[in-house]
Amino acid sequence: MSSSERQNAGPKPRPAIRTQPMFHRVLQAEPQDVRQTLEDLRIRFAKEVSADAMGRLELVLAEVMNNVAEHASATAMPAADARSMHLCVVMHDNGLSCAITDDGGKLPADCLLPRTLPALDPLDLPEGGFGWCLIQGLTQSLCYYREGQRNCLAFTVPYHA
Amino acid sequence: MPTLIVNETETQLIVVVEEARIDAAIATRFKDRLREIVLRGRKPVRLDMRRVDFMDSSGLGAMIAVRKALPEALPLVLEGLTPNVERVFRLTRMDSVFDIRPATTLQE
Repeated sequence: MSSSERQNAGPKPRPAIRTQPMFHRVLQAEPQDVRQTLEDLRIRFAKEVSADAMGRLELVLAEVMNNVAEHASATAMPAADARSMHLCVVMHDNGLSCAITDDGGKLPADCLLPRTLPALDPLDLPEGGFGWCLIQGLTQSLCYYREGQRNCLAFTVPYHA
Repeated sequence: MPTLIVNETETQLIVVVEEARIDAAIATRFKDRLREIVLRGRKPVRLDMRRVDFMDSSGLGAMIAVRKALPEALPLVLEGLTPNVERVFRLTRMDSVFDIRPATTLQE
């Protein structure tokens, strides 16, 4: 039974309310799991969200979650205690609201300060340093806080760029 | 191993990227494999990107590393970028560094 059927049960059914997909997952902090999560996320929202917004959402989440994965492996942990992260995405009026939490090290403050792209020296092109520029450029209401041993990052990806 | 299909002619290398995603899960191997192909060929390279539906900054970093590995005089042309891939080049201004062309030139 779908949730709207349940709400409409009984002699005086309530008018159907619009239900929207959401996405929640706990995944291992490693690139293959990030990839799988993004593929599943795309399927979940495919009918509701434009290809353009979906592409921006996927890029932002790839950058955020790959950063978590990279830093989870950088801080050596006992093998049995592989790091995990939580991802939650819900649809709001103006965009897709996302929250990512993980128990890795504290996020360096400069990640959230306004950034410029790495200098484009044609003789020595930068091969990295783009991730936080992309995250900042594609999100709204980006915020971070540390709660005990956990990192919490939240932001919105607008439906219309 | 990333799937790259190489068609070598007298004058150029055409490399078809048969991967839907160039992301952190594959970027290092993609970079190593593509660099090996273009350095062995020593010819102008055309990279057919039509099958690539997603690329993140680690994938972009791999493309930049390959460009840097090629002698400056050897062209590396990217053809048929999908919207998700084009977005990454545009937002990082790397579209001003790479030679990016529509897929139409690939008809043969």
